[in-house]
Amino acid sequence: MERQKLIESLYRFAEIMVALIAGFAISGVIMWLGGYDPIKAYRAMLGTSILTTDPYNLAMTLSFSAPIMFTAITFAVGVRAGVFNIGAEGQMYVGALGAVLVAAMSLPGPLYLPLAILFGSLLGALWGAIAGVLKAYKGVNEVVSTIMLNWIAFWVVEYTRVDLLPNPRDPSKTIEMPEPGRLPILLKGTELTASIVLAVVVTLLSYYLLWHTVLGYEIRATGMNPRAARYGGINPERAVLWSFIIGGIAAGLAGVCEIAGRPPHYAITTGLSNLFGYGFDGITVSLIGANHPLGIIPAAIFVGGLTAGARGMQIVAGVPLEMVKAVQGVIIIALAVPGLLRLLKTRLTRGGG
Amino acid sequence: MAAGSRGAEHLIEMRGITKIYPDGTVALRGVDFYVRRGEIHGLLGENGAGKTTLMKILSGLLRPTSGEIWVNGRKVSFKSASEALKMGIGMVHQHLALVQVFTVYENIVLGLKAEGDARLRIEKLMEETGLKVPLDVRIENLPFGVRQRAEILKMLYRNVDVLILDEPTTNLTPVETDELFETLRRLKNQGKTVIFITHKLREVLEVTDRVTVLRNGRVVGVVETSKATPQQLAKMMVGREVVFTVSKPPREPGEPILEVRDLWVRNDLGEWAVKGVSFTVKAGEIFGIAGVEGNGQSELIQAITGLRRPEKGRILLEGRDVTGFPPSKLYRMGLGHIPEDRQGLGLVLDMNVAENSILGVQRGRRFMGKFYNLLWSSIRRHASQIIERFAVVAPSLDAPVRSLSGGNQQKLVVGRELSKEPKLIVAAQPTRGLDVAATEYIRKLLVDMRTRGKAVLLVSADLDEVLQLSDRIAVMYEGEFMGIARPEELTREQIGMMMGGYRLAGG
Repeated sequence: MERQKLIESLYRFAEIMVALIAGFAISGVIMWLGGYDPIKAYRAMLGTSILTTDPYNLAMTLSFSAPIMFTAITFAVGVRAGVFNIGAEGQMYVGALGAVLVAAMSLPGPLYLPLAILFGSLLGALWGAIAGVLKAYKGVNEVVSTIMLNWIAFWVVEYTRVDLLPNPRDPSKTIEMPEPGRLPILLKGTELTASIVLAVVVTLLSYYLLWHTVLGYEIRATGMNPRAARYGGINPERAVLWSFIIGGIAAGLAGVCEIAGRPPHYAITTGLSNLFGYGFDGITVSLIGANHPLGIIPAAIFVGGLTAGARGMQIVAGVPLEMVKAVQGVIIIALAVPGLLRLLKTRLTRGGG
Repeated sequence: MAAGSRGAEHLIEMRGITKIYPDGTVALRGVDFYVRRGEIHGLLGENGAGKTTLMKILSGLLRPTSGEIWVNGRKVSFKSASEALKMGIGMVHQHLALVQVFTVYENIVLGLKAEGDARLRIEKLMEETGLKVPLDVRIENLPFGVRQRAEILKMLYRNVDVLILDEPTTNLTPVETDELFETLRRLKNQGKTVIFITHKLREVLEVTDRVTVLRNGRVVGVVETSKATPQQLAKMMVGREVVFTVSKPPREPGEPILEVRDLWVRNDLGEWAVKGVSFTVKAGEIFGIAGVEGNGQSELIQAITGLRRPEKGRILLEGRDVTGFPPSKLYRMGLGHIPEDRQGLGLVLDMNVAENSILGVQRGRRFMGKFYNLLWSSIRRHASQIIERFAVVAPSLDAPVRSLSGGNQQKLVVGRELSKEPKLIVAAQPTRGLDVAATEYIRKLLVDMRTRGKAVLLVSADLDEVLQLSDRIAVMYEGEFMGIARPEELTREQIGMMMGGYRLAGG
């Protein structure tokens, strides 16, 4: 049996390598057709993100991987409970809003950070719980409800930015997190803050929760076979709701970390531009990481590296931003395809969820 | 017609049909089945007798392992249902093959070339056969009886001469059943041939011209319905030799553990599945419920084990009213449940042996720490104990349960439930699909439990099992008990009659 497990792990690894090579090859052809040198571009991309000894580059990679690590957990815990929670985006927005609300209060310095974390994760959990209650007790499709809730969150937060908590010195953003409430910068001159530490800790905690607590056991049993779960004395509705709450906490923390731990703004910017998209990137990260917390850590660092390497590609290899985005997209999709197919297969054979 | 003398008499001849499934199950052993043109022919037998398999072969859904099929004097070999349909043979299954979101009309013409007068033809068919169906209503909005009519119409529209109906009355109300029989008689008068699969004696006697009785994959006999008696048919259906016996020491039953009082339960379709059932199971007693599957046994078990909410009535566990309690609470009060669907209900197939060994007791003090953490070392010890004590063959504790054989999966479920040391054990079809050794072992365990003073509620479609193990027996038919008695007080004939819907005299 150990052997079977080993074979399966090797198979997964081979799958990732094939997907990686395919992704790089396809984007290489795209670049080549566009008249750019793919070899040079890839060397620049990886050389300024992952395959480098320059601490600045590595720090950039890690700083980009922190938020998507959080949001990947949101998706992964959902998948384990058998739901397709794509609401990390909106839950992250309200989490950031929670941090900004705390920032707007006048408090003793040491209170800002713990309160921001508490308030942000609470709002994230609440936002997740809305979709969770609708799914578990009213049978509302979670894909539809979370997409709608994402947009509701977007406009609520944007409204707050413009009308309730605008920054008096800079109308393009909200009130900043005051100095004492910020996460410490780990490497001077970079954007790398303690948010990466927080992200890794939360990821490891979610691993512990799923495989070493009764709640995790009940969530996983529900995800694999809700009928057997009910037979096993588990309340599947409650397990599903918990998965949304846990996911909401993780996504809320992603938002908090972008406010308390991302120089230079420490605030929500116009059109939520410094938050936008992290929730969806988390889905691909989770799929690449086989929806497993321990797979999510390397997957998040890799995707973070693609983001960090984008600058190198532009500056060193002269590839325009649009092309860089296309290349990133193709590679990420190629990596996510195997996981996505597996997920769809189990959902379809189970007759949808 | 290049037919032999028989071809003129028989529209369908199935000769020496044997069917062995890939997993080695022998479903049919050299069955000869003949149907005359224009008759209503009953195919009678218990669960697993091979009725449905035989008809799936005739309708092209399955291929026989050996044997020949002759239709209208010509030898045929169907590769698919559509080939059989071309020869005029169509089957209406228990689970209807209709597209839920399409209208009746759309379902009837589905897959056929558009015809200008399709609607007219269907309306004419409805007129002739008396099958009234609203053509423009979606299937999902129609009651089951109407859906069935739509399915029959669909077959007739495809010019079927031989209509096969598999347990067509299972989901019908008595009125709908009468209407169906009326339709079948009309079809017969129009020259169609009908094959009617059932286990209900009454219906066979009411509507068929001749009956073929199957038992254990063999034809037991063919009789003219007008000359048959229910006693005779019942005996043919269930009378068989006992394969092996379990020794059962005598024991006086003790206190009542489970009391069920006037219980009413609905099924998933909202129809009454259990209609006012009452009984008591005492400590040190096995109470067996026999009956053909689908007569409300599943719903009864689900209500007792907390998986389905009863509409009316009371369930008492050791004198305490537990009606509507969730499974987790019932387990804590001493319920062990060996479910009939071990793969879909009793186990999470993708979880490993250790994880499955605590399903239902995961929040027990032995397995959960102060911080809701799982005590893995304790769980693994528990799983190893089950494996050892109940002789489960598993590659390792980390192997997904999916990789275990059916027998070992069941032993794991049984072991888990019995190791809870429950006061009441509810065992549904505990040995279905298991080999002889595993069957015998599990039966022994149940008898041991009873002898040690547990109350056991056994539900099984296997009559031998119920007769051998039970101290008292009830036979369930259409949601009601046809009678409760000690096994030695009953003849097989009487049980067969009760399974077919006759009440035990004075019971």
